[in-house]
Amino acid sequence: MGSLKRLLALLALAGLVVAWFSAGESTRRYLKHLGRQVPYLPYRYFI
Amino acid sequence: MPDYDVIVIGAGLGGLSTAALCARHGFRTLVIEQSDIVGGCCSTFEADGYRFDVGASIVEVTRPLDALFELMGRSRADYMDLIPCDPIYSFITEDGRRFSYPTDIDACTEVIRRVAPGDVRGWESFCDTGLAMMEEMMDTVMLSPMNRFGEAMRVVLENPRVLKFAPTFLRSHQGVVRSFYRDPVMLQSVAFQSYFAGAPPELGSGVFGYIALSEHLGIYYPRGGMIAIPEGILAAGREHGLEVRTGTKVEKVLVENGTAGGVLLEDESVVTATIVVSNLNAQVTYLKLVGPERLPRWAVRGIASYENSMPCPMVYVGLDRAPELEAHHTVVTSSLESMNDVWNNYYKLDLIPDTAMSLVCWPTEADPTLAPEGKHILNFLCNAPAPYAPLGDNWDRLKPWYREQAIRELEKYVLPDVRDHIEYLQVSTPLDFERRLLHPRGGIYGLFSDMTSLAMFRPRSRSKVVKNLYLTGSSTHLGGGVPTTIASGIITSRYVIQDHG
Repeated sequence: MGSLKRLLALLALAGLVVAWFSAGESTRRYLKHLGRQVPYLPYRYFI
Repeated sequence: MPDYDVIVIGAGLGGLSTAALCARHGFRTLVIEQSDIVGGCCSTFEADGYRFDVGASIVEVTRPLDALFELMGRSRADYMDLIPCDPIYSFITEDGRRFSYPTDIDACTEVIRRVAPGDVRGWESFCDTGLAMMEEMMDTVMLSPMNRFGEAMRVVLENPRVLKFAPTFLRSHQGVVRSFYRDPVMLQSVAFQSYFAGAPPELGSGVFGYIALSEHLGIYYPRGGMIAIPEGILAAGREHGLEVRTGTKVEKVLVENGTAGGVLLEDESVVTATIVVSNLNAQVTYLKLVGPERLPRWAVRGIASYENSMPCPMVYVGLDRAPELEAHHTVVTSSLESMNDVWNNYYKLDLIPDTAMSLVCWPTEADPTLAPEGKHILNFLCNAPAPYAPLGDNWDRLKPWYREQAIRELEKYVLPDVRDHIEYLQVSTPLDFERRLLHPRGGIYGLFSDMTSLAMFRPRSRSKVVKNLYLTGSSTHLGGGVPTTIASGIITSRYVIQDHG
């Protein structure tokens, strides 16, 4: 079970890496922009 | 006993809508406005016999405006005359092509068949999806509180069909329009609207990708200028006892034991109230009027984390003859890539672009009474976006240079000999907007609108950190724009009435 979880996590990570490198510059900028905002979401939610 | 039940700071559309509905509910309500005129961005000023609109240039999606008057027990038509503007836009592309989009969707399909024949099916699919989405969301998402996860879930539970459109909120504006269109000209005609939400196409929320369709429900210009809308709301509110004080600046929101209880004015007098509603930008409200010292550190961090929407210099022009234009709005567009490039390689680096998107608004086309007989006005948004603090310089010094740039653009697109026909020309820079409208960094569309700053992630209409403090306007749900800020006013009034009614 443990190794299955590790395998799935690895596959998900690989999927993300492939998606990142196959995305265009514009999509990467969009994702980077969202990534920079995510840490603030918990604060924003409660204001 | 406090002087009033409700004090509303700022007579923008959100503030007036909240105030009018509170007055209608029987609250003793006072609106305090620092300017001498009401309306904020949706206002009109006079100069040399011309009447210019400050910022907003049309109203589209009139449902919130009609709903507001219905809630006041009135009919909108008794308070303002909305003139339909058709065609919606006349476009001038960077390769010099000119075409117009009529309001009627079938007629517009024929224009697209000529301009971008490969995208007719995409346009039809865009219309089908967008119209279905608007039908499901107009009254639910647009007029419902979205402060908390639970409120968003309630909207979904009441109408599960809205879930079908959830991916739209996760995508960018560009992602949505690219899923329908391939032709570069077609793409630019539906992408520039992301700037109306204060963001470039690649960063703006996908839901704004459908602005290009909502315009086909009709765009209108109020007779007498955009100020006719706030004045109409104020007139209806006054019938319910609403009071307004213009030319009065609020310095502080009085907060004691974490509860708002009134305001301190510039002349150091105090007006007390049970409820304080701020129509100002949320960052100004919390960080200046309330003060960071009265807020928890996490709240200061959260409110400071928002980016403001982009500023746009506006140029107000009075002409002694008619311009050579075909529609109320003429849009000078550039490619989708260029719109993003301007943001990344100019705006973010504090450089003023020399090409991007320009919008020429011709209000006297709809209402000739805004200018002396035979004369015309133009409101010109030139090469948006522009940075707040251009590298090594400031807007007060750059004004004469920018004025010359604007005239050159007008010569190119509006009238070759425009210089000989200009009777009045005034530039309003981002600094001017910041001073007059209290928009931080001149961002006239409120806070930046992407998926991380919409709905429950936008500052709450009912403050969580200061009791009896409420917010409304472009920095709350649903963001900047005429229908959206009116909707925010309706939502805020619901919270006030629910809590204190």
